[in-house]
Amino acid sequence: MYQYDTLDKEFLADRAAEFREQVGRRLAGEITEDQFKPIRLMNGLYLQLHAYMLRVAIPYGSLNPTQMRALAEIGRKYDKGYGHFTTRQNLQFHWIKLADTPAILDELAAVDMHAIQTSGNCIRNVTADPYAGATAEEIDDPRVWSEAIRQWSSLHPEFSFLPRKFKIAITASAKDRTAAKVHDIGLMVRRARDGTLGFEVIVGGGLGRTPYVGPTIREFLPANRLFSYLEAVLRVYNRHGRRDNSYKARIKILVAALGAEEFARQVEVEWEKVGAAGDLPDTEIARIRGAFAPTSFDTLVNRSEAFEEAKAADPIFARWARNNLRPHKRPGYSIVEISLKGIGDTPGDASSDQMDLVADLAERYGQDDIRVTHEQNLVLPHVKLDDLAVVHAELQRAGLATPNVNLISDIIACPGLDYCALANARAIPIAQDIARKFENQDRAELIGELKIKISGCINACGHHHIGHIGILGVDKKGEEFYQLTLGGSGAEDAAVGSMLGPALPANRVAEAIDVLVDVYLRERQGEERFLDTVRRTGVAPFKEAVYADAN
Amino acid sequence: MKALTANRLDDGEVVFWKAGRWVERFAEAELFAGAETGEVAEAHAKNQPTVVVDAYLIDLVESEGLWAPLSYRERIRALGPTNHLGHGKQAEGGAAIQALQHASGAARSTGRVNLIKR
Repeated sequence: MYQYDTLDKEFLADRAAEFREQVGRRLAGEITEDQFKPIRLMNGLYLQLHAYMLRVAIPYGSLNPTQMRALAEIGRKYDKGYGHFTTRQNLQFHWIKLADTPAILDELAAVDMHAIQTSGNCIRNVTADPYAGATAEEIDDPRVWSEAIRQWSSLHPEFSFLPRKFKIAITASAKDRTAAKVHDIGLMVRRARDGTLGFEVIVGGGLGRTPYVGPTIREFLPANRLFSYLEAVLRVYNRHGRRDNSYKARIKILVAALGAEEFARQVEVEWEKVGAAGDLPDTEIARIRGAFAPTSFDTLVNRSEAFEEAKAADPIFARWARNNLRPHKRPGYSIVEISLKGIGDTPGDASSDQMDLVADLAERYGQDDIRVTHEQNLVLPHVKLDDLAVVHAELQRAGLATPNVNLISDIIACPGLDYCALANARAIPIAQDIARKFENQDRAELIGELKIKISGCINACGHHHIGHIGILGVDKKGEEFYQLTLGGSGAEDAAVGSMLGPALPANRVAEAIDVLVDVYLRERQGEERFLDTVRRTGVAPFKEAVYADAN
Repeated sequence: MKALTANRLDDGEVVFWKAGRWVERFAEAELFAGAETGEVAEAHAKNQPTVVVDAYLIDLVESEGLWAPLSYRERIRALGPTNHLGHGKQAEGGAAIQALQHASGAARSTGRVNLIKR
């Protein structure tokens, strides 16, 4: 993992001290709320329904045990003993006091963390593959490039006041776990025939009010030209993005208005002007790469008698192993997904005690490495097969062994109207209802991969457009209703879902999901996933079944 | 019937106006029968920028012989999040909390909407 140097540490300490002074001035009435609001937002602090919310950046979703314990302790001391992992691989505290925030920033700075650029019209936390450095699928380690982008974009003077917020994702595997195609910029690592490392550059994807799957504007960008090219893209956006209308200010609107070809052309012209002077020297990339030097893996065979015996002896462990483990690039190791989707729990919530336990497990069995996924789960990327049974037992004791990763109850949900000042409807209770309805794990496994994503408003923090089943909460004359979409995907086969029909009241949503699942089980052919069946049949048979009563 | 609400500046806590001061419990909030009295209180609140943020009037509806916010959003503010019943003001329980939990009015939070348009 990247280590902060003295300069980084001093900067964070100064920044926390500066915010302490700003909070003091606000509380003393020396600055107004209108003056203070942009300052607090630049430190990730929002005012929500019940309290302030602090959004802490977790760069590319990567944490060490010390950082995880610091988050747990902040949750204990300043919140209600928990934190909420988000779809941007960050962590939000929902019960924060303004007066406590400077102290919290100090505690974060002490473990090389902060809340800078988790809000505002700047380049936000880069999303990266949570399996980085662990999966055999990857062409290169995306953390190296994510970290380089983090350093380049942090407090970048030219890109601190963009027309709107700006989100970048990087994946280096054919299987996309970052939703790259619905980011402002999606970078997919590619290797040319001659072995040169580079990126496919996708620009202008996004969700929210106007969802787009981004077009590819450059099939292959040599990796050593990344930063000049990013600068050119940001410059074209900064110059032409719609600052007159916040709903039309994201880069996706500009790319759609100009057309991908014309946008790409303008970027090429700008890129010429920026030239190679805008690129990071290879030595700097090499320095960052060194900070992610491979952890020391033991030489093992890819079979563990202990693991096989535990699976044979304990069907609960076997089920967890089936659903929550992923192949590791090294023989004898596994990637462990920790579900934060306990049946009936709040998606993405982890108690301080659970965070401490994950930190302990990472230290004892996981090479000090923890990841956050954009699907609101945690990952221990490097666990020996021999240690899986004991890791599972510990997770089980802490309520963290729900064997449902990628299954129907592994639901993304935004905080919704239970917390968020922007929401129109609640998202969490809908997720809880659905998870309870599909509590039976045999049935969940029979259904297979099914991604349900729920947002409490059109801003789409819960990624509803790209859910295999998407659920959007709307306010109909003060009552919560939910619109369903089918056939979306945030993976490499990204697509925006199609609307099923009229919105449903809250108490009919879980039942409607049940009907959709029944139609799928009836219609599916061979090994089709839910998504594949929807794509083959279209929404018609699903729509007919859900709205049968209404006809 | 209306009440005046805001978030307290230093901790973000949901508060309600009661005869010149702010209280945490909705049950203790001052009720305004006439539009005029509510607006006078709102004007006072807007002159307290170091005490509260975003003061606005909310509509109320009768529930179990008591009053409750008409909009769902405002009931969640007055109670706490529905996914953690031990968090927020609802944790205290009692008849006044139950009246809010059982209220069935539905409307948008107009005071809040006006604030956003500002």
